[in-house]
Amino acid sequence: TAGNKILHFGACRVSVSMAEIRVGFTAIKANIQARDPIRTLSILSYPHSLHKVNSSDRCCITHHLFNFYVDKVFKHCKTEDSYVNRKISSIANSFLSMKRKLEQCHEQNRCECGRESTEKFKQILANYEGLNVTSAAMKSLGELDILLDWME
Amino acid sequence: SGELYCSLLNPRNVRFESINMKNVLHWSAPEGTGNGVLYKVKYSVYGVGKWIRKAECRNINRTWCDLSSETSDYEDQYYASVKAFLNGMFSDWVETTRFNPLTDTKIDPPMVSVSSTDRSISIILTAPEKWKRSPEEESISLLQVYPGLQYNVSVLNKKTKKRWFFSVSNHTLVVPWLEPETAYCVSAQIHVTTPLLDSGFSKEYCIATLKDK
Repeated sequence: TAGNKILHFGACRVSVSMAEIRVGFTAIKANIQARDPIRTLSILSYPHSLHKVNSSDRCCITHHLFNFYVDKVFKHCKTEDSYVNRKISSIANSFLSMKRKLEQCHEQNRCECGRESTEKFKQILANYEGLNVTSAAMKSLGELDILLDWME
Repeated sequence: SGELYCSLLNPRNVRFESINMKNVLHWSAPEGTGNGVLYKVKYSVYGVGKWIRKAECRNINRTWCDLSSETSDYEDQYYASVKAFLNGMFSDWVETTRFNPLTDTKIDPPMVSVSSTDRSISIILTAPEKWKRSPEEESISLLQVYPGLQYNVSVLNKKTKKRWFFSVSNHTLVVPWLEPETAYCVSAQIHVTTPLLDSGFSKEYCIATLKDK
């Protein structure tokens, strides 16, 4: 579909509706980020930035992150604003589709998990579990542009 | 005894205005205040959170502060904040929304140079450079920052008013099969698909094709 892009994660290639996700997120970015008052903690960026991940670990980290967002983030991001909720569910559907595509490649063992990506993802989970579920989910959703920038 | 608490209204519309990643903080004076209001500015890196005062924007009376240097790493996101004070009264700190230089900057149009033969025109397009601290610093083209960067090019036949549009990733474009001795005007725009960023169109560059050989 229009706006689809093939992204390479190590040996895996995934067709991603990146423009659609970006437009959806941009529409709610200020609203979501305004719900996150914590400046001293980032789920994805600190202490180790996603941008410092080796290319060999990209596939595994991305697989973990797709699972993380689908299983732990989107479901805890309900707001009182139906417009925002619709945008969130549209993004969630796109992530679900990406997750399934990457899963197939992961199952064919072409998505190796090295020590660095395991460590990196542990750090992300630790950052997430350092907050209560709703705050952690809203903060993670507010950092979607960090993930999208890195993915591209 | 009650403490006399004098507070000043807050600065308004505190936001980053960014062009080619030259990131400048702007705000409007508190409502109803004339001259004499002074300001101070601080910024923080999202995820680190420690507020850092911007020394060059301390006790200033202008309503902008260039934070390009402090926000030049576009893999990070930032907040900035402004406080106003006047005659011993002061406002609250007023913050921006989270600023992501990569997605929140605007991009200038590309530079366009044209040359012609009798039946074609050649167009060379140059993407603007990312802001840099000093002329000596190494230049970074926005093409390096946005690998998916493309150019939308418009070519107008001044005689027939017929216009063509091209979308190219390459920075050169040759338009063949034109009419000799005819004026053509070229304008170009930068288009980044994701994050979605479009520059305006450049001004028009006109050139005439040569006499037929």
